[in-house]
Amino acid sequence: MTPELEHRTPPPVLAARGITKSFPGVRALDRVDLEVAEGEVHAVLGQNGAGKTTLMNILFGLIHPDEGEVYLRGRRVRFRSPHDALASGIGMVHQTRRLVPAHTVLENLVLGHPRARGLLDLRRARQELEALCARYGVHVDLEARVWQLSEGEKQWVEILKALYAGVRILILDEPTSALTPPEVQALLRALRALVDQDGVTVVLVTHKLPVVRAVARTVTVLRAGRVAARLSVSDTTDHELVQHMVGQEVTLPTVQAPDRRGPVVLEVEDLSAYNDKGVLSLRGVSFTVHEGEIVGVAGVTGNGQEELAQVLAGLRPAVSGRVRLLGRDVTHLPTLDRWRLGLGYVPAERTEVASVAALSLVENTGLNYHFDPEFCPRGMLDRTRLERLTRQILATFRVKAPHPYVRAQHLSGGNLQKLVLGRVLSRQPRLLVAHLPTQGLDVEAAAFVRAQLLEAKARGAAVLLISEDLDEIFAVSDRVGALYEGRFVALVPRNEVDPETVGAWMAGSLGRRA
Amino acid sequence: MNELLARSLEASTVFLLAALGELVNQRSGILNVGLEGLMLFGGTAAFLVAQSTGSYPAGLAAGIAVGGLLGWVHGLFSIRLRGDQVVSGMGLWILSFGLTTYLGSPHTGPLGLPRFPALLGLSPFVYFGILLVVAVWFVLSRTSLGLAIRSVGESPAAAAASGVNVAGIRYLCVVFGGTLAGLAGAAYTLSYNPVWNYNFLMGWGFVSLALVFFSMWNPWVLLGGSVLFGAMWQLSLSPEYVLPGVLSRYVWRTVPFGVTIAILTVISTPWFRTRWGLAKPQALGVPYAD
Amino acid sequence: MRIGAYRLSVERAEAPSPARVALGALLAVALALLLASVLFWTPESGPWTAYRIAFGYAFANPSGLGATVHRAVYLLLCTLAFLIPLRGGLWNIGLPGQVYAGALAAFAVPFWAGARELGSGTAGGVALLSMPLAAALAGAALGALVGLLRAKLAVNEILVTMMLNSVMFWLVSDFIKEGGAFMSATAEGESFTLPEAFRPPLPLGLPPSAFLGLAAAVVVDFVFSRAAAGYRVRTFGLNPQAARYAGIDPVRVSLWVFVLGGAFSGLAGYHYFAAVPGLYKIPTNYGYYGDLSFYGIICALIARGSAVGAVPMALLFAGLSVGGRFAQGALRLPFGVDYAILGLLMTTFVFSHLVDRYRVVWRPTAPAPTSAPPRPEGAR
Repeated sequence: MTPELEHRTPPPVLAARGITKSFPGVRALDRVDLEVAEGEVHAVLGQNGAGKTTLMNILFGLIHPDEGEVYLRGRRVRFRSPHDALASGIGMVHQTRRLVPAHTVLENLVLGHPRARGLLDLRRARQELEALCARYGVHVDLEARVWQLSEGEKQWVEILKALYAGVRILILDEPTSALTPPEVQALLRALRALVDQDGVTVVLVTHKLPVVRAVARTVTVLRAGRVAARLSVSDTTDHELVQHMVGQEVTLPTVQAPDRRGPVVLEVEDLSAYNDKGVLSLRGVSFTVHEGEIVGVAGVTGNGQEELAQVLAGLRPAVSGRVRLLGRDVTHLPTLDRWRLGLGYVPAERTEVASVAALSLVENTGLNYHFDPEFCPRGMLDRTRLERLTRQILATFRVKAPHPYVRAQHLSGGNLQKLVLGRVLSRQPRLLVAHLPTQGLDVEAAAFVRAQLLEAKARGAAVLLISEDLDEIFAVSDRVGALYEGRFVALVPRNEVDPETVGAWMAGSLGRRA
Repeated sequence: MNELLARSLEASTVFLLAALGELVNQRSGILNVGLEGLMLFGGTAAFLVAQSTGSYPAGLAAGIAVGGLLGWVHGLFSIRLRGDQVVSGMGLWILSFGLTTYLGSPHTGPLGLPRFPALLGLSPFVYFGILLVVAVWFVLSRTSLGLAIRSVGESPAAAAASGVNVAGIRYLCVVFGGTLAGLAGAAYTLSYNPVWNYNFLMGWGFVSLALVFFSMWNPWVLLGGSVLFGAMWQLSLSPEYVLPGVLSRYVWRTVPFGVTIAILTVISTPWFRTRWGLAKPQALGVPYAD
Repeated sequence: MRIGAYRLSVERAEAPSPARVALGALLAVALALLLASVLFWTPESGPWTAYRIAFGYAFANPSGLGATVHRAVYLLLCTLAFLIPLRGGLWNIGLPGQVYAGALAAFAVPFWAGARELGSGTAGGVALLSMPLAAALAGAALGALVGLLRAKLAVNEILVTMMLNSVMFWLVSDFIKEGGAFMSATAEGESFTLPEAFRPPLPLGLPPSAFLGLAAAVVVDFVFSRAAAGYRVRTFGLNPQAARYAGIDPVRVSLWVFVLGGAFSGLAGYHYFAAVPGLYKIPTNYGYYGDLSFYGIICALIARGSAVGAVPMALLFAGLSVGGRFAQGALRLPFGVDYAILGLLMTTFVFSHLVDRYRVVWRPTAPAPTSAPPRPEGAR
C-alpha cells in the first residue's frame, strides 16, 4: 500500500499498482505505484531514464505493463491502445510532437475525434474550437499548417486536441522542454486555470523543479525505475527533491577559468541558409572560434542550429556568406575536403547520419577514414589498421561492445555516441562541431562526453558546441551565445553572463551585443 | 476523328483506374511499384474467365478479385512484415509477368466474345472512371475516413496517437488499389483491346505509376493527366493524324515513354520540387513500426 | 501461442549467419521449383517428367549443355548489371533496354563497315574488339542517363529504366523491321545475319565474353569487399545520409554504378546476339531474350549481392530456361515455362528474404504471470 496522505479523502481518480515493465536488457519500471487525486496537478519528477515516459505510456495505453494494474476511479482498466484511453477520458501530450505537419491545425484537431464520423463538419468544429480557445486564452490560427508553427504553438495544439476530445485527465510529458521562458509561464497559467475552473486532473512529467513548484500539489519522484518518494509539494524543499531524484549528495560541476586561446580556426561571416521547407532559417550569422576554446551556442531546436551545423559540415549549401577554416574559404568546398582539412563533425542523429547500423564497428570507423591514405593505401582498405584503431577507440572511450566486428545497431545509444565521438576525435580535428552531443544519454555517459570536449579543447582544438542544455553549455564553454530565429543574439565570455540571461536570449530578448 | 477520341478516352480510362487506386494507397503511405503486375494478372484472369464462361460480369469479377488479392499480399509484406515495399512490388510484378505469360499463352488471340457493350458510343468504363474520380476526391477531402487516410500517409505516429488504426487503414487502401488495378487490367483485355498477348500492357502500369507522381496526388490533376496520356498513346498508334509519313511507326510508339521521362525530369527540378515535395505523403514507402 | 510449458513466439532475428542465409536461398529455389512442378503436371506425365527432361537436356546433352553455358554467361552478365547498382541501393531494372542498346551498337559496327550481305566485309582485331566495346558503351550511356537523373534530380530510377526499356524495345523494331536499317535482305522482321568475319573466336567453345564475365564476377566481389570504392558504394547503399556525412559523393556513386551496370548489360546484349553460336543476329522474337535478362535480378537477389555466388545460380537458371524450353516442346506444354519459373522464383525469394528477418523462439513460460500476457514490443 502506498503511504497515506492525511488530507486525501476521495478515491484517486487514476491509480497504478505494482507496475513493472522491462525492455531487452533493462528494467524500466519496478513495482511502481502511482495515485493521482481528482482535480489536482500531480507532478512526476525524475531524471532522464528514470522511467517517467514509460509509466505515462502505460497509463495511456501505448504499451502494456509486464505486471501491475491500472485503476480508473477505483475500477481496474486495461487499455489495449490509446483509443481505449481516449474513450475513457485520458489524453496525453507527448514529449515529441504527434501532429501531422502537412495538415492544418483544424484537421489535426479533428483527426480521431470520437464525434468525427462520416462527413467532416469542419465549420462546426471550427466554431467549437474557437470557443475553447477563448475560454483558455489561447491564440492559435486554425488554418495554419502545423509545420509553420513554433514549438510552443504546436504544444498548444496538442493540448487543445486533448481538451477538445473531452479528456478529464491530461498527461503532459515534459511540456516545457521545447518552450521559451515566456511560453512556459503562459502554459503554467493555463494549466492552473484548467484545474481550478474546470476540475481537469493534470499529470505533469518533468525534470524541472521550478515547474513542480509553480503548479503541482503532489509530486511522485521516480529514480531508476522505482518510486523514491511521494510528497506534498508544499511540505518539501528543493534540496530534498533533488536528493530523491539523484539519490546522493549533489555536487555541481566545477567551472574552469577560461584558458589562453590561440589563433582563429573557424571564421563565419554573414552566413545564411534555407532549411528543408525552403524557409530562410539561418540569417546572416557571424562569429569566430579560436584554437583551444569552446564556444557554446544555446537555443531551442528550430532556430537554425541544425542548419548551422550542416552548413559548416558541407551538408547544406550556404545561400550567402562565407565560411573560412584555417584561413581557407571553404564555403563551397565539398564535405570530403573539409574532413581532410581538419573538420570533425558529431551530428545530432547518431543512428541516421553518424553511423551505419548494418555495418560492423570496424567498418563504421571507415566512415571517417575511407579517404585517408594511411588507412586506405592505393585505394584498398587496410582492415588490420582499421580494426586496431577501432579497438583503441573502444578502450579509450569505454564503449561497451562484445568485439569490434559487432554491428553498430547492437550498441546502445550512449555507447554509440561515445563511439562516434571517439571516431571523430581520433582524427585530431582542428575544428570540432558537436551538435546535441549528449542528447538521450544517461548521466554518466553525458559527463564522459563533456570531459572529452574539454580534453579536445586542451589539446588545441576549436570546439563549437551546439546544445539545448544550458547546464551543459555553462559547464564547458569559454564563450556563450544564443541562436534565436537564425540570428546570434549575443556571444560573450561565459563569466560575464548567467544562465537566466542566456535563457532570455533564447526566448528572443535582445542581448547586449549582436 | 470521333473514333480516335473515343479510343483515346478508353485508353485514358485504363491509366486512370490503375492510377486512382495507386493514388489512394500512396496517400495512406504504401508504395506499390508492382502496379503493372496487378494489372497484368487482373487482365489475364478477366480474359480467361470471360472467355471460358462467356460472361463479361464473371470476367470483371475475376479481374477485381485477383487484383484485390495481390493488393492484400502486398499489404501483408508491407504492413505486417514491414518489408521493403519496393522489393515486394517488384516481386509481384515479376511474379505476375511470369505466371500470366505461362497461363495466358495457350489463349493468345482474340477474346471471341461480342464487343463489350458501349454507352453513348463510349465504353462504360469511361463513365465509371469519372465517377470514381469524384468519389475518391470526395472521400479524401470531405470525410473523416479520408482525413484518417491522409494522416496515416503523412505521419502514422500522429495518427496512431489520435486513435486511428494505422494498419487497418493501410490494408483497406492497398486492397482498394489492388482491386482498381485489376479492374484496369480487365478494362484493357475485355474492352479496350480484347486480344491476349504476352505482356500485353507493355509498360502501361509503370506509366500509371508515373502519372500518380505527376498528379501530385490530386485526383483531378490525375484525370487531366490520364486524358492527355491516353490521347498521346492513341496518336502514337496512328501517327498519320499528326505527322503522316514522318518516322516509322515504331519510333512513334516510343513517344509516350520518352514524354514520361521528360515530365519526370521536369517535376524533379528545384522549382517544382518544393511544391511536389509538400504534396507528397511524408510517410510514403516507409514501414511503420508501432 | 502457448504449447505446454513453453511459449512460442515470432521475433525479429539478429543478422542471420551466412550459412543460414545460403540455406534460405536454396530453400527458396527448391520451393519455386516445387510450385512450378504443379504447372507442368499434365495427364500424360507427372510433374517430375518435365524436370527430368529439362535437366537431362540442359546438362547431359552436349548441344543442350552448350546452350546452357552460353545462356549462363548471358545471365551472369545481366546479374552483374543489376548487382552493382543494387549494392548502391539502386534498382536497375532497365536490363532489357540496355541489352537492346548493346545489341544495336554491336551490330552497328559491321553495318557501318558495309557488311550487310553475308560474307562480305573485312575482319580484323579492331573490328572484333570494337563490337563489344560499342555494346558496353551504349549500355553505359543508357545507364549514365538513368544515373544522372537519379543523382542530380532524384528521379525515380525504376520509372526511368522501365520507360527506357519500352523506348529501346520499339527502337530495335524500327531498326530490324519494315525496311529498317539493320533489316535482313532475305528475311522479314529480323536483322541481317552477322558475317563470319565478325564472329568472335570460340576458344574451348566459349566466346571471350564468357571468360570476361567470369573474371568480372571475381573482380566485382573483390572490389566490394576490399576496395575503398566498393566500401563507398556499400555505405551509400546502406545509409545514404551517413554516406554524405562521410564525404561520399552521392552523384558520383549513383552515376558510376549505373554506368557500370549499363555497360555489363550492353555487353550481355553483344554476347548473346553476336558472340554465341546459334543466333548471330537480332531475331524477330528478340523480346524473349530481353525478358530473359530479368533472371539477372533473381540471381543477384538470391545470391545476396555476391557476384561469385551468383555464378552457380546463373548456371542453374540457364539450365532451367534452356531445358524448360526443350521440355515445353517435347511435352507440348504452353509457351512460357521459363517465365512461370521466373515469376515463382521471385516470389519465393521475397518470401525467404522476409522470413530471414524473423525466427521462431521457444521460451519456458515465466512463473505465475499476474496480468495479460506480454506481447513482443520494441524498446522505447
